[in-house]
Amino acid sequence: MVTEGGQLYTIEGVAAALIMLTTAYLVVGATAVYTPGDAHISDMQMEILGTDALKMMDTPQNFTDTKSPLRQIVETDDGSKFWLLFNNTLNNKTGAYPDHIHFTANYSYRVPSDNSINSSFLNASRNLTGGEHAVRVTKWVIVTKKLPPSAATAQDRAVLVEVLLWRD
Amino acid sequence: MADDSGNLSIDFLVGFTIFMLAFIWVASMVPGMLIGLQSRTIDYDAVAYRTGVILVEDPGWPAAPAWESYPDGQKDQIIRFGLAVSKDSPNILSEDKLNRFFCSTFSYPDDYHSRAIFGDYNYFFNISVLDEERNQMRSVGDVLPDGYGYIRRLVKIKGLSNTTIGQSQIEKHHYNNTENVSTHEFSVVINNTKLLGEVGDPSYQIDPARDTIIINITDLRSTIKEFPTASPKIVRNGAGRVSITLDSIKVYRWDAGTLSLVRTYDKPYIDGRNTPDTPPIGGIEDNVSLIIDPRVFDIMKAGYSQVYINYTFTVNPDCTFLNNTNNLLANPQGSFSYDYFPENVTQPRLRDGVVEVAVW
Repeated sequence: MVTEGGQLYTIEGVAAALIMLTTAYLVVGATAVYTPGDAHISDMQMEILGTDALKMMDTPQNFTDTKSPLRQIVETDDGSKFWLLFNNTLNNKTGAYPDHIHFTANYSYRVPSDNSINSSFLNASRNLTGGEHAVRVTKWVIVTKKLPPSAATAQDRAVLVEVLLWRD
Repeated sequence: MADDSGNLSIDFLVGFTIFMLAFIWVASMVPGMLIGLQSRTIDYDAVAYRTGVILVEDPGWPAAPAWESYPDGQKDQIIRFGLAVSKDSPNILSEDKLNRFFCSTFSYPDDYHSRAIFGDYNYFFNISVLDEERNQMRSVGDVLPDGYGYIRRLVKIKGLSNTTIGQSQIEKHHYNNTENVSTHEFSVVINNTKLLGEVGDPSYQIDPARDTIIINITDLRSTIKEFPTASPKIVRNGAGRVSITLDSIKVYRWDAGTLSLVRTYDKPYIDGRNTPDTPPIGGIEDNVSLIIDPRVFDIMKAGYSQVYINYTFTVNPDCTFLNNTNNLLANPQGSFSYDYFPENVTQPRLRDGVVEVAVW
């Protein structure tokens, strides 16, 4: 005779619970797969644009120009010129309407006396609030400058120009 | 006694649970397996990116002679379009390559698909390039639909070098300080060894074997010293003015210490006309322009040689005229030098540009 030990009485309840769990798992799983793929593409496109823009700004117009526009900007801390040039270059399109990519830029350098890293703000099209999904692009630039500003003489120094880019 | 109906053994419950867990695990992998096949947007973006890289970072193939110098009759020999000046200068585009890329003799989509887009699938596409300084937008392809794969690249367009030998240059170098004779010679030297050695960066280099060079000679009549009272009278303009004939343009190459005649150049543009004429050309008013294709240097195998371009003019009546060598073979050092001095030659300059590729 079958006893009641180790028996389950509500088979419908168990089956329904399993079906609900399965459905929830598949829905969550399907959502999680597609979202990162799309974000990766727009991030990649923005990263290429930013890298191209910095590279073009670090290219002199002809061989008699000894300094690129980006080098001149860093050497003179000309944030407004950076805004104008970078914004125009980055958002330029072949069609009639420009793009609307926002950016914030700074450059960093090593302080020889204590080996610390100093950063100096260049300019931004909008302040970061923390909620943006930004990508980062960088470019090493050689400048002749007093770094830090309290240094005795201007020397050839490598600075890292760093720009965060995002769309609204 | 308990009723057995509706009961389940714990063995069955364990087995069923394990089966369900395995089923869920396998089912959750299915979307991941299909993601590469299902998402056409990702594929189009990848093709657009690949095409953008080919156009902006690659000089194309064949490289020597460069693909852009192949005439329409030989366009089947062009393997790959690429707009970069060289493989060492990504994002710096050649003006010659751009002009050839957008010329009307290439047909959309066949010529472009097999040389820039690639792949077996018949993609539609649109490639556009903006020259910002000239405010010139050129494009090839279809009208954009709602959804497409896309890439935008920021570039510089390398302009062509050119020289204009006008009245100020002529007076500065005393190119009009000659005898009253009927035949005059004027020579321009293009020292390729020096041009490639002095500037190493292809972005700024004057390389006649890679980029078109332009030589304009203007104000020809300013070299004539007038003698209205002489017989016959010598006047620059008006009735009885001196007639100017361009007899020939000869191209010499400096080989092992001597000048050898390699060929004649038969495509000078006279007085701003849109089509070239073939010497001898009479009735010249004031200007002679040469637009020298890189293929000229390539055919001569003169990419690393000194090349002399020698103009021979005949004037009637005898008078002073543009003359810097008298006899090139005897006096090659008198030639005008096409070089990196900005006073002599307008140097190649980089202009801002944008390249966009859309694929669907």
